[in-house]
Amino acid sequence: MMGIIAEMLQAIIAVGIVIAGILATIVGVKDRTKKISCLRVFVQTISLSIIFLGLIIGPFGLTKYPPIGNAPRDMLIGTSILGAPFPDGLSVPTMACYYPSGRTMTCVLWQIQSYIFPFWDAGKGWGVNYVSSGLERLAITFGLLMVMSIVLGRFFCGWICPFGFYMDLITRVRKIMKVRHRNLSERLNEGLRQLRYLIIAAILLLSFIFGAEAIVGIHLVSGTEYKGFIYQYFSAPFCQICPMRPLCVPIEGALGWMNLNYVFSQTTGQFYEIGYYVTSLNVLVLILVTIGAFVLRRFWCRFCPLGGLIAVFNRFVPFKWASVVRLYKEEEKCTKCGICKRVCTPQVTEVYEEKGGDVTTSGCILCFRCVEMCPYEDCLKINVAGKTVFKSKNWLNLSK
Amino acid sequence: MITAGIDMGTQSIKIAILKDNEPISQVLVSSGFEPTKAAEQAFEEALRKAQLSRNNVKHITATGAAAELAPYSDSTISVIGADARAGVYSFSTARTLIDIGAEEARAVRCDEKGKLLNFVINERCAAGAGTFIEAMARALELKLEDMGPLSLKAEKASQINATCVIFGESDVVTLIHRQEPKPEIARAIYDAMAERISSMVYRLGVNPDVVLVGGVAKDVGFVTSLKKKLGTNVLVPRDPEFASALGAALIAARRMES
Amino acid sequence: MTGIDEIGMKYFLEIPQKEIEEIRDTIKATSIKVTAENIERMKKTTPNRPETMTYFDGISDFFGQREHEIRVAKEEGKKVIGYMCMFAPIELILAADAIPVQVNSGWFDATKLGDRIVPVEVCPIIRSTIGAKMVGLSPYLELSDTIINTLTCDGMTKLGEILSDHKPIWTMCPPRVKDSPQSMVLWREELKTVKQKIEDLTGNKITEKEFRSAIELRQRATKAFRRLQDIRKGSPVIMGRDAMLVNQTSAWDDIKRWTQKTEELCDELEKRIQQKMWAYPPDTPRVMITGTPMVWPDNWKLPNLIEESNPQGVLVADELCSSDRLLYDPVGVDEWTMDDMFNAVAERYLLTSTCPCFTSKDGNEDRINWLLNRLKEFRVDGVIYHVVRGCMLYAMEYTRIKRILDHRNVPVYYLDTEYTREDVGQMKTRVEAFIEMLKAKVEI
Repeated sequence: MMGIIAEMLQAIIAVGIVIAGILATIVGVKDRTKKISCLRVFVQTISLSIIFLGLIIGPFGLTKYPPIGNAPRDMLIGTSILGAPFPDGLSVPTMACYYPSGRTMTCVLWQIQSYIFPFWDAGKGWGVNYVSSGLERLAITFGLLMVMSIVLGRFFCGWICPFGFYMDLITRVRKIMKVRHRNLSERLNEGLRQLRYLIIAAILLLSFIFGAEAIVGIHLVSGTEYKGFIYQYFSAPFCQICPMRPLCVPIEGALGWMNLNYVFSQTTGQFYEIGYYVTSLNVLVLILVTIGAFVLRRFWCRFCPLGGLIAVFNRFVPFKWASVVRLYKEEEKCTKCGICKRVCTPQVTEVYEEKGGDVTTSGCILCFRCVEMCPYEDCLKINVAGKTVFKSKNWLNLSK
Repeated sequence: MITAGIDMGTQSIKIAILKDNEPISQVLVSSGFEPTKAAEQAFEEALRKAQLSRNNVKHITATGAAAELAPYSDSTISVIGADARAGVYSFSTARTLIDIGAEEARAVRCDEKGKLLNFVINERCAAGAGTFIEAMARALELKLEDMGPLSLKAEKASQINATCVIFGESDVVTLIHRQEPKPEIARAIYDAMAERISSMVYRLGVNPDVVLVGGVAKDVGFVTSLKKKLGTNVLVPRDPEFASALGAALIAARRMES
Repeated sequence: MTGIDEIGMKYFLEIPQKEIEEIRDTIKATSIKVTAENIERMKKTTPNRPETMTYFDGISDFFGQREHEIRVAKEEGKKVIGYMCMFAPIELILAADAIPVQVNSGWFDATKLGDRIVPVEVCPIIRSTIGAKMVGLSPYLELSDTIINTLTCDGMTKLGEILSDHKPIWTMCPPRVKDSPQSMVLWREELKTVKQKIEDLTGNKITEKEFRSAIELRQRATKAFRRLQDIRKGSPVIMGRDAMLVNQTSAWDDIKRWTQKTEELCDELEKRIQQKMWAYPPDTPRVMITGTPMVWPDNWKLPNLIEESNPQGVLVADELCSSDRLLYDPVGVDEWTMDDMFNAVAERYLLTSTCPCFTSKDGNEDRINWLLNRLKEFRVDGVIYHVVRGCMLYAMEYTRIKRILDHRNVPVYYLDTEYTREDVGQMKTRVEAFIEMLKAKVEI
């Protein structure tokens, strides 16, 4: 009895904090050009907490999952989708990395790469016994991906993704240091945006090659057979170079649930692997992307394959007509002042170039900065399912 | 009800007195150096002709380029508005009105109630105004009222300077010396002026029926040329030079009613 | 060896000092008279003119309070930087603690002097400015230490050259096509050069803190400016001419004080809205002017006619760079670093301009959007397209604008005029007829 009341209280307190925080930012921040940005920071913090919830509330002993080994167990949500078992939790198209413990959701890229073993029947995957076939799990994954892409689109990128939060923090550090940022040339930026589809194609191809034995019965490359060299160490090809993975280590380590000695001691001795689920390539890419995010803004978002996946299911025909969150521009109110183009972190130019109407694009991370900074009333609008939820206002009023 | 309209034109002043929307008295005088006084005298004369006195007239509306110089006025109206009103009064199907005064030409589009839809004024090209014909008549050594009928006898028109018809005056002298027949020269003069006027009207859009008012409308030579250039029939009311004054008086009546 | 340097001045003539003083005093007296007359006429048209307008009347006198203030500041060591077109970067001038002031000439009589140097076909604003310089008429022009000359139209381009006989000229060359990538590069370089020149002239380096406060100062001015224009959207509580005067004085006045006074004016007007104290009856036909700018004092011809004719119209909006366009667009700064502030200022001055000197593959769509937006928001009944003879750019855009406005069923009238008082009678007929037309439409 007390347990149930305690849990209800926890839930109420948690929800109350979130709502209070949201209200505080909306009401408390008077400067119209900062309101949505502050709200977004708050939501990003909440998202980070929710994605790695186990890590955060684990120390308070509030989780009902006992700790195993050196880290609290996952608090996965979505382990059963419409009755079908989905053991790794809800797929989200953001970098909610699979590897750390204490997480609540799973990065959809990992699931796409990993659900090949076993493919046609239930059985043993990488260390885990799956009760449903890979095909079934992949179908659910893609289904969830499609639904989330259509409904929220790249809202995930701007408001939920922890790596996006990381890059925004780097930007904040740069601003405090009063260092100016650079811009990529538009051609290069456009090239990067096309690159992400190439990356997705490469991931899919490599996953197929690595998992060929499970799908078609023969292995195409030596080492990819069950328990082969590649099977053991390269199974999820993208995860070996993803910059988010090494970030999970400090998150876990900082909260004291992962002994850093343990992390770095648990190498397999291979030259590239420097710790428990961290490779040197991961670290290299992270360093490069960090430098990139310092010099540019939201550097990774321009060629992120997760963004590309969302784009496929949100911006390409026929999904384009179903996407729920859209950016609109009133042609006559636009003075082509260029503010929207200048403040855009992933350097989207369509919001400026297009004359009017629906100007949602796949490069846009829906951070709403352009709408916030547009000084003409009702010029830019964010519509959710046709209803305007946020529009540009004359921010000169209510600024100091 | 008795109302009056005073048209203070640049060259002449026209008075029209209406009784129950029927013109009962019209007077035209030259403006001279003291237009206000001239208008006053003209008004007195118009009253005399109608056997009325000043306080019989319930409302006087002034119009014309010098409307503010009118000796009496209870209200004013632009000459454009007056023309439009007079046009539909004379011909209920009038939708395009051309008013050629001494120094400027105006074209007006209106609806069936005489309300203004659009207008264009041209006071820059002197070849589109009445004084041009007077100057040409002098050059041809003809009386103004004879030039029109004479031009109708022409079989073709002579060649006059195409760009600026002011230079056409020296052209006319040259043509006379070359013994060109006067009807043909007169025809050419009317054609040139009709050309100017119709290009102005085309800017507005020709919407039949077309009505021509102003002193020049009495000149049959010009009306013939204009019909040809516009490619449509041109209606001319009785006493076309009083159209603006009549229109002003009609508007005076409507203002009294409201 | 061309011997050009032996010729002396490039354009200006030597005029005997006595003649200069005579002409200057005559025109100055006329200017003061016309200024006072305009204000009298505005007071007469609406007897309950807002009290705050008295302050702006004071600033509108070229030979009064503001001249004195600038002169005193100059003696104390401040530099005065004049400008003509509204592309000059005011924020940079303010950040270097210099005084920005617009030096356009609105005097009809000065054009006759300009005719001695350039042909009559040239834009009258240019001729008037030349004439004003010839006799030292304009106090702001005389007090300027230097003039920022933006090479927008042909007239402006040559005007700088002509004035350089007497004043240092800093040219700024805006690219005629705004939206190509190379155009912002050019414009930023032009601004960097001017920034350096401003720092050299004033001896003050522009720091981040001062740049930021200059930008914020102008943002507050834009806030007040927009507040005034928003009030004009409703029933006419202020005369169009009064609002135009307030708008114009922002180019001469001390920005901080102007902002404060405009806010006071808006407070007063909002009280009047509540009391329904209209300057004109709410069903007065609403007119918008677009085209060549109309510089105070002599160019109040058209606004006077519109608002005093019978029937009356009210000026609710305009697309003039001497009025509603001066302060409408704010500088939008993202990160308050020198780099971003500089880019923000550069983009604001170039990209938001609706001047017809710009073109693009779709034409001057910025201007069209400005007009269409205002047609809706200000419930405009008719548009008067004002062009001075000699202005090629505005004259040529008329065809396109007319087509678009015809499509929207908005009457537009092309009114061309000159720097002369002679054509008031002719203009009166046209303006009256036009407003009659609007009133008829309104009644229907």
